[in-house]
Amino acid sequence: MKCHRGQLIIILACLVVYSCTIFEKDFDNPVDFEANEEKGIGAPTLVFYPKSQTKTTSDSVVVGSFIVFKDDSSMEDFSGVHLQIIFPDSYLELDTIKPGLFITDTSNSMPLFTYTFDSVNTIDIYAYFLDTLKPDLLGTGHLADLVFNPTSTGSDSVSYHLNACEMIDHEDNVIVLKGDRGAEVIVQ
Amino acid sequence: MKKILQYFLFFFLGSLYSANLESTFLVLNHFDKFLPNADSSLIENFSNSSFEFDSTFNILFEDIDNHENPASSYMNTIKELGAKHKVNFILCNQIKHVNDRFMLEGQLFNTRSGGLIYRRKIDLTNYINGQINELSMWVGNVTGSVNDEWQKNRESILFRGSEDIEYKKTPMGAAMRSLVAPGWGQVYSDKKVSAGVWAGTESTLSLAVLISFLKYDVAAKSYKSNLKLYNETDDEKEVAKYRASAENNWDDHVTFSALAIAFAGATGTGWVANSIHAWIVGPRAYKNLYQKWDPKSPNTTG
Repeated sequence: MKCHRGQLIIILACLVVYSCTIFEKDFDNPVDFEANEEKGIGAPTLVFYPKSQTKTTSDSVVVGSFIVFKDDSSMEDFSGVHLQIIFPDSYLELDTIKPGLFITDTSNSMPLFTYTFDSVNTIDIYAYFLDTLKPDLLGTGHLADLVFNPTSTGSDSVSYHLNACEMIDHEDNVIVLKGDRGAEVIVQ
Repeated sequence: MKKILQYFLFFFLGSLYSANLESTFLVLNHFDKFLPNADSSLIENFSNSSFEFDSTFNILFEDIDNHENPASSYMNTIKELGAKHKVNFILCNQIKHVNDRFMLEGQLFNTRSGGLIYRRKIDLTNYINGQINELSMWVGNVTGSVNDEWQKNRESILFRGSEDIEYKKTPMGAAMRSLVAPGWGQVYSDKKVSAGVWAGTESTLSLAVLISFLKYDVAAKSYKSNLKLYNETDDEKEVAKYRASAENNWDDHVTFSALAIAFAGATGTGWVANSIHAWIVGPRAYKNLYQKWDPKSPNTTG
């Protein structure tokens, strides 16, 4: 009986202690500049959203391309970007590339957005902001959506080739890109 | 008159002739409250007695321990009384009551020398007709006419055989009760105040544990909810908003978790301490019926 009482007390104590689990502070949204900084990736950063997705072969895979700026005055405005994106062609084929809303002007028209595809696994996107009211842009925003069709199952990443990517202001001055984050695509 | 009524001070003056016809006694009784049948019992137990009430002997019932030489404190008074009543000895008996106990102090003086030659103090729990029985035993012991009935009366009530005594309440019983519900063991031991303190303390701590845990739970759920929303949006402003909310929730859930664990620890420790306390103050049988006389503790009115 005494043994049972002791066990009961231990069980109750464990319940209290383990009921109060401390969750891990896990902020890892690629669009969040603080999360990127915590991972040692400075801004401005080229990222994909979502950072990971799992699809079946019958689904379409949509990967968003974003530019992430830090929310302070140290950032420089930009007007145009060149993105070079590499995707795993072993199980994905490019379907469509859609422009993001961030670089459209105030009348929501599409100033300049074009891309090239080497028919293998590399996509080059060129976009330029041509608003009549302001010459440059600043802030985190959506640059493009890449739509892929799975050809088989596999697991790999869509990534930027950072050395080939470029960002410029309206006077054609280069703005240094501090980092990039890829996105994991799993097709089952 | 009021004082006499309040304390029921009366002096019972009698001359007793013991079996030894050569020894004569003057007995002075001083009770702090009325004892029914005291005089009639003494008349019945000790024949050839006469009574006279006199309030002039208060001095003999003062605390002689305060005197420099207690044994010779009242030499002249004793001698005068002895000559007046033509007795060899004077026996002063005093009974005081404190709660459920009574103290009987007897002093035997020799009238030829005026000195105290025998003194006895008894501290007893009340029993039926206990004061008269103890008084009779003491007077009988001094005068040499002890009645076996008195001894049997005392023994039948106070000195039961240990094998016949049942201790239904035990310290372990109190401890186990307090382990089940704080304060129950103290109630079981008639310690109402400490029972209330333990029950109140443990209730408060338990409530604090519950409140902290509920707040922790709310904060943890909000954190998970905001984290999910944070992960599911690609809007810069929403990301910042959900992150700020989730961080606040995370801080809250850490704080309330720590509080819940701390209060739970205090509750558990208090619970065990309460059980140990119940065991310490638990009901135990009296081992000594005769206790050391403490002249400072009893209420010495009368």
